[in-house]
Amino acid sequence: MSNFERMGDGYSLSLTQDEAHILINLVEQLLELLGEGDFFHHYDNSDPLAQLMAMPSEIVTPDDPVLMRLLPNAYSDPEAASDFRRYTEPALRGSKQRVLRAVREELTVIVDSKIDGVVEELDADTWLIALNDLRIALSVRLEIDGESFEKFELLPDEDPQKSVYAVYFWLGWLQENLLTALTS
Amino acid sequence: MSTLTDTDVSIDQLLDRPWITVVWDDPVNLMTYVTYVFIKLFNFSAARAHELMMQVHNEGRAVVSTGTREEMERDVQRLHEHGLWATLQRDDKI
Repeated sequence: MSNFERMGDGYSLSLTQDEAHILINLVEQLLELLGEGDFFHHYDNSDPLAQLMAMPSEIVTPDDPVLMRLLPNAYSDPEAASDFRRYTEPALRGSKQRVLRAVREELTVIVDSKIDGVVEELDADTWLIALNDLRIALSVRLEIDGESFEKFELLPDEDPQKSVYAVYFWLGWLQENLLTALTS
Repeated sequence: MSTLTDTDVSIDQLLDRPWITVVWDDPVNLMTYVTYVFIKLFNFSAARAHELMMQVHNEGRAVVSTGTREEMERDVQRLHEHGLWATLQRDDKI
């Protein structure tokens, strides 16, 4: 069973090989959805020059509902929302990509080792945000609402939606586990 | 040194209502996580953060900060970075 634990001043996470695989696959899928190419950007998205360069009109309200939830409108007025997005979305996207890349790097070590492992001295905020963004992404695909628990529990085991829901549920458990470790 | 006279404050400024940051309820974010983010971003006490989280949960929304438009834009951006659903608007109370 995976578990966040306090270790000295920091936190660690024990993961089985299967769990590390599930997490890294989700992280990479979300990075891809966020438009991360397979090349390394040497510039920092929060750099004012990079923001200026990335500002042209191509920044539009996302069609994909997952992106729309991760990069939501800041105003109910469409024009104000679109103006704000043009100036700020590159930085928000960049911040989400940085978090996911950091987690991916830590997971890669375990996946490459081919055995169960421990992420040591992890940054709790980075992991909280990453787990949360993964849950948000899955929740949109699963169309999660207040009554989802009963709905998915009643699905037959062979329904693929049920296993995706199990992963969603597990991510929530992990996040709660880290929050408990942080606040206890 | 100039003296501040009545005319230095325009009617527009007097009528200028503050801006507010609103956090909206969603079925995904854990209650403990929302409370944690409120404490982290706004330095609320645990009790105040919990109260605002419950307001989001029960009433569908809560105002978490008030100030200038620029300040609220920054707050909304930070909330979005943490995956919370937030918007800013003029305070419609007045």
